[in-house]
Amino acid sequence: MRKVLLIAAAAALTASTTLAHHSFGATYEVSKSIKLEGAIVQFVYRNPHSFVHVEAPDPSGASQRWAVEWGGTSQLEQAGVKRDSLKVGDKVIINGRPSRVPGEYRVLMVNLTRPSDGFTWGRNAAEVVD
Amino acid sequence: MNARNRIATAALLLVVASATLVNLRLAAQGARPPDIAGEWRLDSAEDPGQPPLADYLGLALNEAGRLRADTTPESIWGTPEYQCRPHSAPHQWRGVGGARILKDLDPISREIVGYRVQFMRSLDRPIFVDGRPHPPAWAPHSWSGFSTGEWIGHTLKVTTTHLKDGYLKRGGPQTSDMLTMTEFITRHDDTLSIVQVVDDPIYLDEPYVLSITYTYDPNAGPPTENCSGSSFAENGGRDRHWVPHFLPGQNSGIGEFLKTQTWIPLEPVRGGVKTIYPEYRAVLNGAAKVDSLTVPVSRSANDIAKRIADQSPRDGQVHVLPIQGNIYMLVADGTNITASVGRDGIAVVNAGSAQMSDKVLAALNDLARSAVGAPTANTCFGANCPGIPSWSSPYFNTVVASPRPARPIRYVINTSAAPEHVGGNEKLAGSANFRRAGGAAGFGGAARDLGTTATIVAHEGVLAAMSTPSGKTPAAPERAWPVDTFFDEFHKLSEYVNGEPVILYHAKAANTDADSFVFFRHSEVIAAGDLFSTISYPRIDTAKGGSIQGVIDGLNHILDLSVAEYRSQGGTWIVPGQGRLSDTADVASYRNMLVMIRDRIRDLKRKGMTLDQVKAARPTLDFDGRYGSSTGAWTTNMFIEAIYRSL
Repeated sequence: MRKVLLIAAAAALTASTTLAHHSFGATYEVSKSIKLEGAIVQFVYRNPHSFVHVEAPDPSGASQRWAVEWGGTSQLEQAGVKRDSLKVGDKVIINGRPSRVPGEYRVLMVNLTRPSDGFTWGRNAAEVVD
Repeated sequence: MNARNRIATAALLLVVASATLVNLRLAAQGARPPDIAGEWRLDSAEDPGQPPLADYLGLALNEAGRLRADTTPESIWGTPEYQCRPHSAPHQWRGVGGARILKDLDPISREIVGYRVQFMRSLDRPIFVDGRPHPPAWAPHSWSGFSTGEWIGHTLKVTTTHLKDGYLKRGGPQTSDMLTMTEFITRHDDTLSIVQVVDDPIYLDEPYVLSITYTYDPNAGPPTENCSGSSFAENGGRDRHWVPHFLPGQNSGIGEFLKTQTWIPLEPVRGGVKTIYPEYRAVLNGAAKVDSLTVPVSRSANDIAKRIADQSPRDGQVHVLPIQGNIYMLVADGTNITASVGRDGIAVVNAGSAQMSDKVLAALNDLARSAVGAPTANTCFGANCPGIPSWSSPYFNTVVASPRPARPIRYVINTSAAPEHVGGNEKLAGSANFRRAGGAAGFGGAARDLGTTATIVAHEGVLAAMSTPSGKTPAAPERAWPVDTFFDEFHKLSEYVNGEPVILYHAKAANTDADSFVFFRHSEVIAAGDLFSTISYPRIDTAKGGSIQGVIDGLNHILDLSVAEYRSQGGTWIVPGQGRLSDTADVASYRNMLVMIRDRIRDLKRKGMTLDQVKAARPTLDFDGRYGSSTGAWTTNMFIEAIYRSL
């Protein structure tokens, strides 16, 4: 019985709740990385999470439309990211976590760099998508 | 019994004991039930709603529930049809953000006739306490379901049916739309306790019991999480019909969190009723194997087979459900008929079986009389009232006493040549006496029996099927054949019917090579024909040109034309060939299932498996309890075979 109780307690301790409408750990392979280099085709600044859509090649070299999940508007605003911070056509480099689902072009933002002016996000400890 | 269940049971007993004591006191005092309205702050949920991925500990998942959990990824939320869906009903009480309970009062008596509960990511959830019954099984399901409440002394017992499918917890475990939920809500001073019983025999071997505690806090009302999801898919790519899922064995999350917590065995984390009772200690101690355990399972009292069948009862009756605008759904002995009823007459999509024709006709005539021919009171007086020659009185009163007859059936549209859809063609079409342009001598009517029968409309493949003997089945009577056929991707009726365009869309190589669905464009209703059923897997006749991909394409086309009203529900209504009235989320759920099954069978076939081996691998296991059948005219094995042969 003690072990069963411990198992239940462990499950409770490792659980978490979030405002997000889905779980990052459940959606993305958080132990893996993916790097995208391409142009922004859409920036959706919204809640619960913003999305940056980037046209960038997949590992085979074929161009794909990637949906990169970012923070909600409050989190991004606090970091100085506004609705007009990114523009369609901006060339960016994004490091992120790939989707758990094979064949899905979905990525969790870890950091973003715009080489043209040095704009970055995700380079300090506070800038983590929540 | 594990810790979680022990706590839940204890909570339930506490509720009952406390309620009993208070009941006695209330009865003695003649007191009213406590006021549960207000703003409530979530204090604690016995079981958090978002465990690690693939952690099913404490859940009595059956085999189907485990497979469904393993193969359903979180990114299913990113599909266009699900982006705005609220949290699943079982999750709402333990979701963050608090709860607001509002009272609905009768304006005259000021009696409480209902409550509405709001959460952060929810629609208003009504709880009716005015004694109304639950809707029939063919009524639509919603994210909040249909809840009725009954005060048992101090405790409000809430019973909820008509829920959409969703999830039991985050991280995998799903619920079917056969889920029912019972909640016991008790107020103790400023504490509100909720004991929730989630009963879904499709995926659980016994109901899941959970307790949640709230504290009254006037400043704790839930924020509103408006959905500003745009139409783009969150999942990236360019395929708007992308359905994320894991093939069996592909989910990388299974056992993942145990890598850092190696002292937890995998077996109970995979769920199962035998792992949640104290008897499981024998397994932990190495004294027994889990399969050898006997545990006191509290099985669901829900008769799922009956509840599914009740969505499309074969009771020899016609049940009428108003949908939207001029459109009605007639549930006619196991098959659905969609009817547009208005001042232009009646247009039906499908005619039902031959033996039901008289009852269908009677129901349609009743509808036409009540919807169109019913007398209405005069609202205009004098000499210039629209539609009334000369002075309104007494002319209008005599007209009211003798209203014009209801208009007859003008169109019979067939979505396929299936007997349950075309069997009533002859009788329904022949019942019409719709004359235009001077009757038989005029222009514009159908070629046969000009102006005196309804026009039967269908894809030309329906005419080919009905006019050609097949094996021992003779051709249908000529008067039942379609006379207005089309071969293209779509076909518009040549005129508005009851104030709206009606468009037929051909679903290529779907159930057969001759299927269509029908869109009533102003009423926002789609009659899906056999592409969609809420009681079975779709019938696919490969010998007649059907294919799984054609069915999926047809459902995707329906989704492309449909728009949810709000929060991924309502809006465009979809009438299935059989079963309950549905909306975009329901069609998406059905489409998702077919994509998952198609991909599994394709994967097995690519691995070189024979048909028998594929059947033995049970690629439909997690959906069989909901849609499968081992008997009857369309079995699960026939469904698997049809997919295997069409891939």
